[in-house]
Parts: sequence; C-alpha cells; structure tokens
Amino acid sequence: MIRHPLAWGVWAIAVLAAAFIDRNPYLQALLLLVVVNVFLPYRARRRVGTWKFAVALALVPILFSAALSRFGQHVLFTLPAIPIFGGRWTFDAVAFGASTGLALVLTVAVFAVVQSTVRSADVVAILPRPLYRAGTTVALALAFAPKTLTAFQSIREARQLRGQRTGWRSAPALLLPLLLTTLERALQYGESLDARGFGSGRRSRYRPLHWSAQDRLVLVASLAAIVAIAVLPGVPYNPYQELVPSVPNPDQLLAVGLLAVPAVTASLSRVDHAPHHA
Amino acid sequence: MWLGAATVAALMAAFLSIRPAHAAIHHAALVIQHASGSVITRCVAFAENQITGLQLVERSGVPYEAQNFGSIGGAMCQLDREPSTVPPGCFGAGPYWQYFHRHGSGWQTSAFGASSSLLHDGDMDGWHFAVGANQAPGNVAFSSLCAAPPAATAAQAAPAPNHATPIPTATPAPSPSLEALAPSDSPPPNAGLTSTGPPRQPPKATALGPWLALGSTAILLLTLAAVNLRRRGP
Repeated sequence: MIRHPLAWGVWAIAVLAAAFIDRNPYLQALLLLVVVNVFLPYRARRRVGTWKFAVALALVPILFSAALSRFGQHVLFTLPAIPIFGGRWTFDAVAFGASTGLALVLTVAVFAVVQSTVRSADVVAILPRPLYRAGTTVALALAFAPKTLTAFQSIREARQLRGQRTGWRSAPALLLPLLLTTLERALQYGESLDARGFGSGRRSRYRPLHWSAQDRLVLVASLAAIVAIAVLPGVPYNPYQELVPSVPNPDQLLAVGLLAVPAVTASLSRVDHAPHHA
Repeated sequence: MWLGAATVAALMAAFLSIRPAHAAIHHAALVIQHASGSVITRCVAFAENQITGLQLVERSGVPYEAQNFGSIGGAMCQLDREPSTVPPGCFGAGPYWQYFHRHGSGWQTSAFGASSSLLHDGDMDGWHFAVGANQAPGNVAFSSLCAAPPAATAAQAAPAPNHATPIPTATPAPSPSLEALAPSDSPPPNAGLTSTGPPRQPPKATALGPWLALGSTAILLLTLAAVNLRRRGP
C-alpha cells in the first residue's frame, strides 16, 4: 500500500492540474474513473460520502451558468425580458456549467481519496521540527470534529431509546452532555500526550516513515504527469467557441494513465489479510 | 522501481513520437470598419490550427494598441490609428472598438476579448468603431476576401509591412492583401506567391486514432476497476 503523504500530495496536485488546466470533458470523465479506481483498494477504511452531494455539486454550476450567461450560439429557448433570467438560454452555457461542475466533483473526490488514504499521524511524522507542535495540535483538533459528531449522535440515540424528544426544543438537554463528553475527551487527550512525553525535550523518531518502492513509483509517475500536462497542454475546452470537445491527444491520455499508477500497484500487490493499521 | 521509471519514460517517448504534424495552411479574414464608414479588409494565412483574434490583427499588419485586462482578455484601444490618441483607460467616453465574429451570414458580438477568442480556418473577425452596443460592421463574405488560397510557402506566417488603404464601405471589394491572397489585377512584386489550382480544402476526415486511444484507455481503467473491486480492501 502507498503510505507516504508526500506521494499522495503530489498525486493529488497532478490530478487537480489535469482536471483544471484543459477541462476537456473526455479527460475529466477518464480522471473521474481514475480517482474512483484509486479509491477502490481503500474503500474499507472509510464510508463514501453521500453521492447526492456530488450530484448537487455537479448540477448547481449548470443551473447558475445556464440562468446567468447569455452568450453562445446554440439557443435552447428564449425567455421574455425578465430582469435576470430573461433572454436566450444557450446550450453552450449548460456545457460550460457541466464542465465546471465536473471539475468541482473531481476536486472533492480527490480530497476524499487523500483523506481516506493518508493518516494524519504520518503527516505529523514528516513535518519539520518547528511545525511539529502546531501540526500535532491541528491534527488533534481535526480528529475532534468527527468524534464530537459521533458523540452527539449517540446522545441523541440514547434519548430516543428513553422515549424523550430530540427536536430543537431539547437542544439544551442535548448540549450539556455533549459538552461534558467533549471536555472529558480533551482531558484524556491531554493525559495521553503527557504520558507520551509531548513537549518535553527533543522529539524522537519511533517507527520513521520510509519511502517504499510503490511510494517512489507513484511520486515519479505523478511528477511525470505534471510535467506532461505543463509542457504539452492540449486545446482548452471552451464551449462558447466550440461546443463539441476535441478528442484528447495521446500524450494527454498518457498523463491520465500515469495518474492511475496507485490503482495499478494496489491491484498487483499481495492481498493483506492481516492489516497493520485499520 | 527504476525499471518502472524507465518504462514510463519509454512510453512517453513513444506517445510523443506519434503526435501528428500540422502541415496545412489556414486562412482567416479580418474586417475593420471605421467610424467614418470606411472599411479595410485583410486575409491572413497561418500555419497553426488556430490563432487568437489579437494575433490575426497583429499578423494583418494593421497598427493597433491593445490593453490587457487580465483574465477577461485584451481590449482594443486603438486600431488603424483610430482614435488618433489612445484614450485614458483604453475606452474613453464616446465610440469604442466593438468586436464581432462572423457566424453564418451575420455578425455576432464576441463573448471574449481578442486575446482569448480563437479563429480557425475559414473564420472571420469584424471590428467596428461605433457608439452603443451591437453595432455590427457591414456584411462581407469570407469568399470575397480569401477567395483562392494559394499553395503553401514557408514565408506565409511572417508579419508583413503595413500599408493599410481604406476603401469605401459601399463596395466591399477585396483590398490589396498583405500576403496577396485576395484576387488582384496586379499582384505586388514582393508577394512571391502564385495561385496554383483550386482552393485547397483542409482534410475533414475524422481521425480514428485518438478515438481508439480514448476508448482503449477507458476500457483499461474499467478493467482495473473490476480487478480492484474483486479484491478485498486492506
């Protein structure tokens, strides 16, 4: 498994560059396929967010673009002169919105993959020394948010089981136990940090993070993809000029293929029946 | 690890070597209408697949002053010495250079600045110095400007010296074009181009190669997804 946060970071930058520089719909569709592929080996670690959110993210730019843009040559229909929405609604604007929406969905998908593949402990481990304390604090704070949400849900469930109300009116009765739980967890964190000697003297390296062969392969492939995207840019897709997108060049396909390397190495590696870290 | 990097490099080189070469010479037309009504026209040949509207003006040799407005694109402040001085803030208060694309048999306001609009073979751009929105220039047919594209020569894309000659708008006849592409009774001696044969049409056949590459990439990725779905996650 690819573990190094830097490898994942460079991969994420490469995917975002590929998604935003050309905005060719064919390439974006392939990239979405690549991102899903990369996520599949890690799917057990994290539940995917609701797909409804992704659909909404893709639809909102289409709606905005179609309603507010009056340019383009392929007219869908013409509304009477209402202040903002009146005029020609064009298919070009819809295509532009769809391309923007796809880029947004790709961004969210890339960050979802990175969130499920990179462990915050690894990120803290590779931080330079001056940033170590700040990094640990941020990692703890980020870990706090989902745990607080889980605590809130369990308190709500407990109230429901007792037959009590869980609406807005019962908010004070919900918030007090939540506050107590959170405070208790914070104290536990502080004690455990203290027990591990946090902030006392030099930082030791217990189980340092090594670059595995797969990590390096992903890093090299992602850097090559970034170079390919930067040096050999394709024709940027602009529906207002040409509605039908151009077929991507072979070298653009190559860049997309390089981004699928994490999925390829995962499919070739041995199945790990006894995971070290779940 | 290094074997993988070498494979990647070899694949990249292989892909780069099959990039198609651009051979055909393309043409785009330019119509500039002054506030007085006089019109100048140009036909510009270019070797690339596309050029921007600003490149078209630049290669036509007509003097211009443009100002860059960042992501919106470039705005035309002065074209063919009209207005005589560049107004402060590029536009001034009165008439300004309005930018149009030829679409079908009419002009359409450009959604872009000249530096970000793209012209392909057979496209035509119009500029009109006028007050008020949507003042399109007079109707000119592309075929009357770029009638018979001659055979390709290497000197086509080079910018030529400027000798703009305004002509009345009532007769949108082709003016002496810089590259001598428009039909003319007495071809300029410096042109060095000869009209040979019928106008060459750019090859319109849809190339199957890119589609095959796209399809096979998609199929490969789907296969990979199937393989990864069958395996248990960590």
